[in-house]
Amino acid sequence: MHYHREQCLAMFEKLSEYIDNELDEVSCKDIEKHAKECIQCQACLETLKRTIEICRESESKPVPKLFSFRLKELIRELS
Amino acid sequence: MPSKSKTETRKDEDYELIAAINSGRKNLFYQLVKRYEQRIYNFGLKMCRDITDAEDLVQETFLNVFRYLKNFRYETKFKNWLYRIASSVCIKKRRRSKFAPQQELSLDDFIPGDESDIPQEIPEWAALPLEKLLNRELAEIVNEAILSLPESYRPIIVLRDIEGFSTQETAQILDISPANVKVRLHRARLFLKEKLKSYYEHA
Repeated sequence: MHYHREQCLAMFEKLSEYIDNELDEVSCKDIEKHAKECIQCQACLETLKRTIEICRESESKPVPKLFSFRLKELIRELS
Repeated sequence: MPSKSKTETRKDEDYELIAAINSGRKNLFYQLVKRYEQRIYNFGLKMCRDITDAEDLVQETFLNVFRYLKNFRYETKFKNWLYRIASSVCIKKRRRSKFAPQQELSLDDFIPGDESDIPQEIPEWAALPLEKLLNRELAEIVNEAILSLPESYRPIIVLRDIEGFSTQETAQILDISPANVKVRLHRARLFLKEKLKSYYEHA
């Protein structure tokens, strides 16, 4: 890590943009090359990716029936 | 950045229904509510924790939609317009409820520093297949982590990583710059990553 500190910091700042495909090709290649050589940055990248995947799987809760019924009545009165 | 005309011509599945409502068939409005009620309720739960607050958010959002639907100009997807209203209801509620100082997250706080923090391999929770991790307890941990985010970061991660809006769309919904969305999203994700890391290390 310490041998590559500057590269690590540069990569650290861009990880989200890399994951979101918002970086240019050269920056992507730089990140991929560095991640292969630096286990810490690779771990950081993989755990960040996993964090996003877990968020995306966040389950949706049903609307409470009583509230939904009251909302329907309210809308009916309005319209 | 996508051109405006491209956005305008994109087919929106709600346009037909909105046109019908705006032409006088107000009784169709409930169909629009039904389409998005659950999504806005879940957005509310992620944003304000409390079930009653989430219900208030849904009700106030749809009352505003009803009031302003005539002004909808078909220049954006209805869904984006709806979330713009829901987000603004949320911000107004927050201002009314209590004084909450705006806390900022610094990138420096998330840079792994000392030697003990340096992993020698990819942690198991990032290496295992995703389905092996997902369970009710993890869902609760993530919910709590999102709710503990400073309020100016929370809507960004909810819109981007839970609701699936793009950077550009999130920027339009929250009326901030795409660069601001990116900066805040990255910090919010790092914040959640640290929470998950600490959960798995102590599990």
